[in-house]
Amino acid sequence: MRIEISRLTKTYRGGVRALDGLDLDVPTGMYGLLGSNGAGKTTLMRILAGLLRPTSGTVRVGGHDVTAPDGRLAVQRELGYLPQDLGVYPDLTARGFLDYIALLKGLDSRPFRQRRIGELLEVVGLSDAADRKLRGFSGGMVRRVGIAQALLADPRLLVVDEPTTGLDPEERIRFRTMLVGLAGERTVLLSTNIVEDVAQTCRSLAVLARGRLVFEGTVERLVARAEGVVWTVTTPGPAPSTGRVVSAVPDGAGTRYRVVASSAPEPDAETVEPTLEDGYLALMETARHAS
Amino acid sequence: MIATLRHEFGMQIRRPALWIVYGLAFALLLASFQQGYVIPYLGRDYSSHTATALVSVATVVNSLMAMAYGCLIADRLVRDRRLGVDEVLEATPAGRTGRLVGKYLGVCAATAVPIALAYFGRALVYAVTEGEPGALALSLPVFAAMVVPGLLFVGALCLAGPLLVPVQLFRVLFVGYWFWGSLIPANMMPTLSHTLLSPGAHYPEFGFFGPVKPPEGALVDSEYPVYGPWHDAAFNVLRPVASPAVAVLWMGVMVALTVAVLLLIRLHTARTEH
Repeated sequence: MRIEISRLTKTYRGGVRALDGLDLDVPTGMYGLLGSNGAGKTTLMRILAGLLRPTSGTVRVGGHDVTAPDGRLAVQRELGYLPQDLGVYPDLTARGFLDYIALLKGLDSRPFRQRRIGELLEVVGLSDAADRKLRGFSGGMVRRVGIAQALLADPRLLVVDEPTTGLDPEERIRFRTMLVGLAGERTVLLSTNIVEDVAQTCRSLAVLARGRLVFEGTVERLVARAEGVVWTVTTPGPAPSTGRVVSAVPDGAGTRYRVVASSAPEPDAETVEPTLEDGYLALMETARHAS
Repeated sequence: MIATLRHEFGMQIRRPALWIVYGLAFALLLASFQQGYVIPYLGRDYSSHTATALVSVATVVNSLMAMAYGCLIADRLVRDRRLGVDEVLEATPAGRTGRLVGKYLGVCAATAVPIALAYFGRALVYAVTEGEPGALALSLPVFAAMVVPGLLFVGALCLAGPLLVPVQLFRVLFVGYWFWGSLIPANMMPTLSHTLLSPGAHYPEFGFFGPVKPPEGALVDSEYPVYGPWHDAAFNVLRPVASPAVAVLWMGVMVALTVAVLLLIRLHTARTEH
């Protein structure tokens, strides 16, 4: 399900511009959306889910105009949405909550609904907890309920907004693997500020900064942005003053720094192979200087 | 709408606070109104007139338990946002208006269950102790005319109020409103009490079921045989003399106010979603 975004702008009351003339095409499959806090990712997700109307510009999902009432309804019929701050009714069981959402999504046949809920609880590994009240669920379990509710109507578009925030490492890996398994013929738009999540799941991505698109392309292309500008240097002194420090690891008597910088931060610094995180940081440095 | 109604009803009826608050309200009711609620209606006194007995039960139940009803409804609409469920609900193809109406009806129906139990339970006791099975049949129209319209309006009002002020503050304001707009004598201060705009059900009481004749020596204003304008009261233009037509008008006003408040809620949600 293709997403076509053209000159999309969203200005909130008070004049805060969350999106500023965004142009973006999202193809079928897993697609990552990276950006720092306040970059406009959640605003974009909420517009795609039909929760917000843009100030200007167009958004077409599968040919439907999200900003028109009919188009919004058509998209919502094909949409699975996992918001950033997912909430649940604590006094409902997981099965009861999914039953409610399934009804709202138009799954009127009770036998079909029950079968579908059973399948999804199995997929997210919550079959044993299906009849427990949600108030006793951990953050990871609630996230899994969230992905189950998003999949209820077998959506062609899955929009997940920072789904791994707050999860422990094991849950995060499990969740990422689950998302990739769900992609198939779907469009899965994964919004996150955790670079590793995109690195492990997506082939293509976009990067937003201050409501604008600063990169669109493959993961390899973003990694390539950092070729020749990633350095390691070990020093007993303070961190290098030039460039952006990516990591600092104690190493013997000193500290081994990984730095993104356009020139060697120290005379004895060595270049190393970049990762997606390096590429992202190099890109953001460039964007910052440009603005 | 039906899905929301069913689930909201289920969540509210299983809420422990519902039964605790109503339990306390019922205890207070017995302590405050035992003359009105317990003694006369056991059939030992003047309550040989079935309609009179049922009307009195409805009045007494309505006066105190409606406050608990409003307070228990107050957090239902705003809690979707507080819990963070609203985004998931909004992203479904279910219409916002249908969900609002479903929530309203489900929450109000569940919250009214204890009131109905108190009222119909009392009617059942009356029917048994007086040997008047007809009281059970009559209890339905009395409840529908005297209790339901006010609860419809109060339910909408209490869903809407916390959109403007915090829930706890709204509950305090609502209790104050209930006394001011429904319980106090009309000539105590400028008030909507005893007017067509008051959810207190005096118009159907007097318009449909006749004035309650007090027993000999009871502390009731026997100089006030008909219901309508009060001496030295403001807003008497809103207090026509009670009749069946005026009782119907009052019910219509309650329904119209309910619809108006629900429309305002819908407009509010439309305004805040973008």
